[in-house]
Amino acid sequence: MLFNSIDFAIFLPIVFILYWFVTNKSLRLQNLLIVAASYLFYGWWDWRFLSLILFSTLVDYTIGRKLSVEENQNRRKILLWASILVNLGFLGFFKYYNFFLDNFVTAFSFFGTEIKASSLNIILPVGISFYTFQTLSYSIDVYKRKLEPTKDFIAFSAFVSFFPQLVAGPIERATHLLPQFYKKRTFEYSKAVDGMRQILWGLFKKIVIADNCAEFANQIFNNSAELNGSTLVLGAIFFTFQIYGDFSGYSDIAIGTSRLFGFDLMQNFNFPYFSRDIAEFWRRWHISLSTWFRDYLYIPLGGSRGGTWMKVRNTFIIFIVSGFWHGANWTYIVWGILNAIYFLPLLLTNNNRNNLETIAQGKFFPSIKEFSFMLITFGLTVFAWIFFRAENMGHAISYISEILSPSIFSIPKFTDMSRALMTIILIAIFVLVEWKGREGHFAISHIGQRWHRSLRWTFYSLIIFAIGMFMPSVESPFIYFQF
Amino acid sequence: MKKYISNTILFILFTSLFYLTLLFLWGRYAPTIFKPTISYHLGSQGHLYSRLSEVKNYGDVDILFLGSSHAYRGFDTRVFQKNGYKSFNLGSSSQTPAQTKVLLNRYFERLNPKLVIYEVYPTIFTLDGVESSLDIIANDKNDSESLKMALKINNIKTYNTLVYAFMNDLFGFNKSFSESAVKGSDKYVPGGYVEKEIGFYQPSELEKKEISILDYQLENFSEIVQLVENKNIELILVYAPIPKVNYDSYINTGYFDSLMSRYSEYYNFNEIISLDDSLHFQDSHHLNQNGVNLFNEKLIEILNQK
Repeated sequence: MLFNSIDFAIFLPIVFILYWFVTNKSLRLQNLLIVAASYLFYGWWDWRFLSLILFSTLVDYTIGRKLSVEENQNRRKILLWASILVNLGFLGFFKYYNFFLDNFVTAFSFFGTEIKASSLNIILPVGISFYTFQTLSYSIDVYKRKLEPTKDFIAFSAFVSFFPQLVAGPIERATHLLPQFYKKRTFEYSKAVDGMRQILWGLFKKIVIADNCAEFANQIFNNSAELNGSTLVLGAIFFTFQIYGDFSGYSDIAIGTSRLFGFDLMQNFNFPYFSRDIAEFWRRWHISLSTWFRDYLYIPLGGSRGGTWMKVRNTFIIFIVSGFWHGANWTYIVWGILNAIYFLPLLLTNNNRNNLETIAQGKFFPSIKEFSFMLITFGLTVFAWIFFRAENMGHAISYISEILSPSIFSIPKFTDMSRALMTIILIAIFVLVEWKGREGHFAISHIGQRWHRSLRWTFYSLIIFAIGMFMPSVESPFIYFQF
Repeated sequence: MKKYISNTILFILFTSLFYLTLLFLWGRYAPTIFKPTISYHLGSQGHLYSRLSEVKNYGDVDILFLGSSHAYRGFDTRVFQKNGYKSFNLGSSSQTPAQTKVLLNRYFERLNPKLVIYEVYPTIFTLDGVESSLDIIANDKNDSESLKMALKINNIKTYNTLVYAFMNDLFGFNKSFSESAVKGSDKYVPGGYVEKEIGFYQPSELEKKEISILDYQLENFSEIVQLVENKNIELILVYAPIPKVNYDSYINTGYFDSLMSRYSEYYNFNEIISLDDSLHFQDSHHLNQNGVNLFNEKLIEILNQK
């Protein structure tokens, strides 16, 4: 089920009513309702893959229970590895099988040995990269004794399958989300209203910004061989806003929806395009994944405690794995490497924690220096997104070559110039609102809080009107579903 | 919780009213570039406004023509009149079965035809029907049929344009509108036909394409066939002539022919008469007047033999 669909608009109020009016007397019933609703939500796409979620839930629940009684360190390790192998095994098979097979065959043919192997027609289960990481965090934390293993199977199932964040995150830690399923949730007016506001802003980002940008990004990337450099630059910028609007929009809807049910999910995006360096960007972009890799990969590898070589090695590992997590394609790996190259100079010169506060805090305008750094960081990000969006490495290289040619100085060409202009104006308005609200946990969380109710409602109604007026005719799925 | 529910209901009411008001003002005063989901063109191409104004007082007919621009540019009601058939052409641009159903429900009783000739062009079955729905919404009255059509199409452009059209109807903004019979090279002929100044097509190679029919359009089509059959009125399906280069570009015409034959009596005129791409066509889709005359005479010959 898509958040931006009629199905979800019907599903959400029904679950909300059942949750607060029918099952509210019993915590267990509420959790059971969440499991049922989540399975329905996921099964709407393809019910066959519910078995994967159920299996993953059973495995990690059982391993958690066994870890709670097992004292022998070697056996505990075996249990942990069993969880890792099952979860990453699923992920490896569904997501990476064909990639490894193709590269294996290519590598052998390079050395003159032909291997006969045929790719499998595998459907990638939606959200598999998200929920496997979430359940892994449980097993690892239980193993490290950071978390008491749960005895409540229903609560654990609800934690694994919680529908707002099941298919595209935020990837929650068991230590943060699981305890929320043990406590009685009480309805809080301000929390629910804040959730509605966040859902509204998420829908705006997805439908108005991401989907309109997608039309041009797709048009330009799909026909890049026939377009000039300046158009390709705009294509990369459109994609930059598409992916931000799409993914952070999803996260906003997920977080907002959770708040309606009394849950708090972690912030996943914190205005990343206003970052002054790449280190700050990575503290603000897809925070739940970055911190997951930091806690479960980077730190266990030694983090930045060792010498220069250790720092370089660990930085490359974490960025390459992060790139590969997104998809089985060399373009994602190169995107990761590129970000590691951007990040390393900051780390090696101890400048990676320079910008911990929000840019121009308490002021409207940034200083010229801040603005320049922000622009440079944005430029580097746009450049890296080209690899992320390209079909393959050849496509990315030809795309960049054309940008670096003299055609960069020619006038951009679009099939629908007026619609492109409209999209650029919408982006400009969006950036202004995001800038104004950058000190909140989402752009409109504080805007209008002191206004008279009629004015505040007019502001929200304007956003709803913009969604209705600028919604593209074709409904687009969320990009991150494919990861 | 009480406060939350009452405020939510109040907000929904407030925002609905706000949306309707702003949509109306936006539709009237905003520059076209900023209203991508309102497409309201009164008196648009194809003279649908004139056709639907005329049909309201037309009376009984022998033949009712339905279909896309291939119908209103392909069945010349004057030729049929000369041969003793009173007819009305209810075709409209890119009319998909979803719109044909609306027009039939509205005007079938009024025209009370003895025979329905339904022009079926393969591409029409592959369209979502949004553009054609906008044409009907802007150029005809809007009622529950329009709402049913919009719900079935389920597209924001259709919804917004329908709301805008409802409000235009409500405030009577279209009352003074009149459509000129001659627009550019098009001339509206009473009875619904549109005659185009004679022109000739210069054929060029076209890309091969496959007819992949949308289930929902086939469902509507099936309902139309049922509706006509239930009234015991004869229905003939016609694939009007198109240039040979276009006809040959479809790789599965055989499938389309067999599908149509299952529904009713069906004639594929591309296989029945031989026309010249350069002499009898206006463009890659439409006949010119010379082609229309030949096509209509052949059709009348078939009707007379029945």
